[in-house]
Amino acid sequence: MFRISCQHASRLLSQRQDEPLPFGKRVKLRIHLSVCDACRNVSRQFETLRLAMRKLREKD
Amino acid sequence: MPNDSAAPASLEFEQLAEHRGYLLRIARLELRDDHLAEDCVSDTLTHAYEKRASFRGASSLRTWLTAILKNRIIDLLRKQWREQPLEPAPSGEQDFDALFDASGHYAEMPSAVNDPAELCQQDGFLIAVQRCVDKLPKRIGQVFVLREVFGSDTKELCKDLGLTTSNVWVQLYRARMMLRTCLEQGGFGRAKAR
Repeated sequence: MFRISCQHASRLLSQRQDEPLPFGKRVKLRIHLSVCDACRNVSRQFETLRLAMRKLREKD
Repeated sequence: MPNDSAAPASLEFEQLAEHRGYLLRIARLELRDDHLAEDCVSDTLTHAYEKRASFRGASSLRTWLTAILKNRIIDLLRKQWREQPLEPAPSGEQDFDALFDASGHYAEMPSAVNDPAELCQQDGFLIAVQRCVDKLPKRIGQVFVLREVFGSDTKELCKDLGLTTSNVWVQLYRARMMLRTCLEQGGFGRAKAR
């Protein structure tokens, strides 16, 4: 019931960059991340993308 | 250079023009067209100068100018989108099926980024990101840059671009997945090798 695929988790990882996730999705994602190195890496990559875009905007 | 000595000259044109480089940079990221970006920024600065009396200083000058530029760009995008039909995306690739195995798990381990802040200090990485952003399908790139560079939230994107919430999420998801896939070849990959 709480198990989701990486494909599903990746969509949630993207969505949470744009909106706070509703409770159910948040729980599913947290459980998935606790057992999935791949999706933890993707989460970090998405954070990095956000930071990089900020840098591209600000660099002189 | 506009010069209207009768208007309340709280702002000099030079003060506005100081932000030209910044505005050009973000307009180019959004539009991927130097001439179009130049036009939008010139319009923005002229418009801002004409309306300078309405700048109350509640926000920073740069924020105010960015909002004006964003409005110009949104008008332009709406026009472009009306005139050009949506590029058909190859089905199957839309959900990045090829990246996942039969059970829906990543077929290849995504690269670990140990220190995002440190990686984003590297010019080489930022150049790779820029190159990948420029390779995104046009509309997906436009939605993504509005989100990440202009700071539009989901609601604004829906309203400004006439998209549904789930459509906005899908576009942003595709942008991020395409970017991470692109950066696995050289951007994140380099970080892994270090």
